Amino acid sequence: MNLLCAGISHHTAPLDVRERLWFSSEEIRQTLPLLKPLGITECVMFSTCNRTELYALTEKSAFPAEEIKKILIAQKSAKGSVQSTDLFTLTAGDAARHLFRVAAGTDSMVLGDVQILAQVKEGFHLATELNLAGFFMNRLFQLAFRTGKRARTETKIGDGAVSISYAAVELAEKIFDDLRTKSALVIGAGETAELTATHLRGKEIGTLMITNRTHGRAQALAEKVQGTAIPFDHWCDALAESDIVISSVEVIHYILHAKDVKALVRKNTHDPLFLIDLGVPRNIDPMIKELENVFLYDLDTLNIMVDENLQHRQAEVPKIDSIISEVLAELTQWYSSLEVNPTITALTQFMESIRQEELSKNINRFDPKDRELVELVTKRMINKIIHAPIVNLRQSQEVSLTERLQKMSVLQKLFGLSTQPKEDANV
Amino acid sequence: MNTVLNYAMPVFYFALVWTYGKAFFADAAWAKQVKTPLLLCTLAFHILYLAMRTVSFRHPPVTTVFEIFTVLAFSVSFTYLIIEMRSHRKETGYFILNIAFFFQLFSTLFIKDTPEVPEILRSMFFGAHVSSALLGYAAITIAGAYGLMYLMLYHEMKTSRFGALYKKLPTLETLERMTFTAVKLAFLLLSVAIIFGFIWLHLAIVHPNYFDPKLVGTIMIWVIYGFLVIAKTRYGWKGRKGMILSIIGFFISIFSLTIINIFFSKFHKFY
Repeated sequence: MNLLCAGISHHTAPLDVRERLWFSSEEIRQTLPLLKPLGITECVMFSTCNRTELYALTEKSAFPAEEIKKILIAQKSAKGSVQSTDLFTLTAGDAARHLFRVAAGTDSMVLGDVQILAQVKEGFHLATELNLAGFFMNRLFQLAFRTGKRARTETKIGDGAVSISYAAVELAEKIFDDLRTKSALVIGAGETAELTATHLRGKEIGTLMITNRTHGRAQALAEKVQGTAIPFDHWCDALAESDIVISSVEVIHYILHAKDVKALVRKNTHDPLFLIDLGVPRNIDPMIKELENVFLYDLDTLNIMVDENLQHRQAEVPKIDSIISEVLAELTQWYSSLEVNPTITALTQFMESIRQEELSKNINRFDPKDRELVELVTKRMINKIIHAPIVNLRQSQEVSLTERLQKMSVLQKLFGLSTQPKEDANV
Repeated sequence: MNTVLNYAMPVFYFALVWTYGKAFFADAAWAKQVKTPLLLCTLAFHILYLAMRTVSFRHPPVTTVFEIFTVLAFSVSFTYLIIEMRSHRKETGYFILNIAFFFQLFSTLFIKDTPEVPEILRSMFFGAHVSSALLGYAAITIAGAYGLMYLMLYHEMKTSRFGALYKKLPTLETLERMTFTAVKLAFLLLSVAIIFGFIWLHLAIVHPNYFDPKLVGTIMIWVIYGFLVIAKTRYGWKGRKGMILSIIGFFISIFSLTIINIFFSKFHKFY
């Protein structure tokens, strides 16, 4: 039984290659059954913007790695644009360790990415629906989910914002108690503005207003984030009602000056005003920073914040590595218990102990000259009794894991056998 | 036993501040686990100490400034424990308990055994005056501590230095809300203390001096907190100014309680 991981990620291929191998849920449904003829008994696959990975279990001793790669490339009709060398393969313990790192977020492009665990879970559920996640994959992925959960609860790998847009929202959360009671005005409808607006909506901001020179784009974004589009000519009016202002437009001169904010602050009875300037060149007069109860941050500040948070997350990686080592040891121990040899040894020892016990009780009843013969006969009897079960068990290595486990379980239960897992066994 | 506990109390408070500091600045896991049980333990010993003083000297320890400071240290720590348990936020303890430590240290160094209580202090009005004043001072201390935390966080955020205070302290709005809750409470309790104080003053002293520095100081504090309450509730004051005023109020209170009381007041000292 061998575990194989084949995939593509930001470590092995650039985005234009990775995107060619992105699989939708439907495509995964179509692809996984194609692997069965390769001797794959269980498989799980997930695909995100940064990675597509397939975990496969085969009963054969040789890994069909190249065939799997070919199938993945062929399924996406990407033969010309994706080479076999763009995909990586890992086997046995390395594959399991890799999965645990993915689940913990330490293999992500953004260190500590929290979304990846949900995507791995989604891939696993898909395989379960297709009856392709069996005994082994079930155990492997449950351990992966546990690793991801422990990484998030026992370490600070997910702490601090590591994107500019999220850092802006995190800063707002340090000033305001409850964003649900606050109003935000987003000036601009570009990518950064959209991401920030999405994060604000995610934090259930009370009122979200969007304004942009092209009103249609403001309307489109407003619709997307359940906000209100404000005509660009009237955004100054909306400013008076806003607690948070995010500006990300291309301008030659500042669009917001200290004198405007001074008047605004007076009108708003000293409420704090939180301003984020994501524009280059800057949109907001930096002198505003000097005003009381006004907090202004620009791209430089947010970048410093993001860099510091990334460094803090990096410092957590050794802790996660040690969690992974623990979980990997647990998997190894469990896997060792699945081998047939310990059961065969336990059965042989159990029979031999019965033979020895009975012989020691009754050997004096036999004539000394017959004792050697009694020894031989009983040994032959025992060997003949256990021969068929042993052959049957050994043959079951060629069949499915579930069948082998059923046989081992029956034997262990019937004879009350206990098998000690080998500590140095490898997955 | 009283002497042993008197010297043990600042040690307890120092250990408490050190543990809360370790949890806040160094993120020490052991400190995070130990700090609240240690606070409970310190408060238990403090109750024992106050009870033993009461039994030994046959009066509650509220008759001298130094006795008042140990009760104040207890009140501040106890109030903080309630805040911690109700809000489930344990980050502000370091700052508040630091003040409790200095109150206790001040008391330990100068406290004297006072077995006899003058007749003038054996009044129901005096008891009500002292109790409400003590609680008022505890609220003033808490308001000052939260005001200080607000200013430190405000400064970090204004200067874009995102250090331990930024990471650990509650939001500016929360700190502001906690400060003003304490300010309102302080104003209310001070008002009660002043009313009972005036009643008691007329009963105890024939021709009281209304311009005694202690009285003037107390009225100043009351005016500051009254102004803060009105500015907040009537005029929607928010932000730094209110916090600065709450800290000024705290320092004037401590000045009034110590320097003015000991060196300048004519009637507000009884030993």
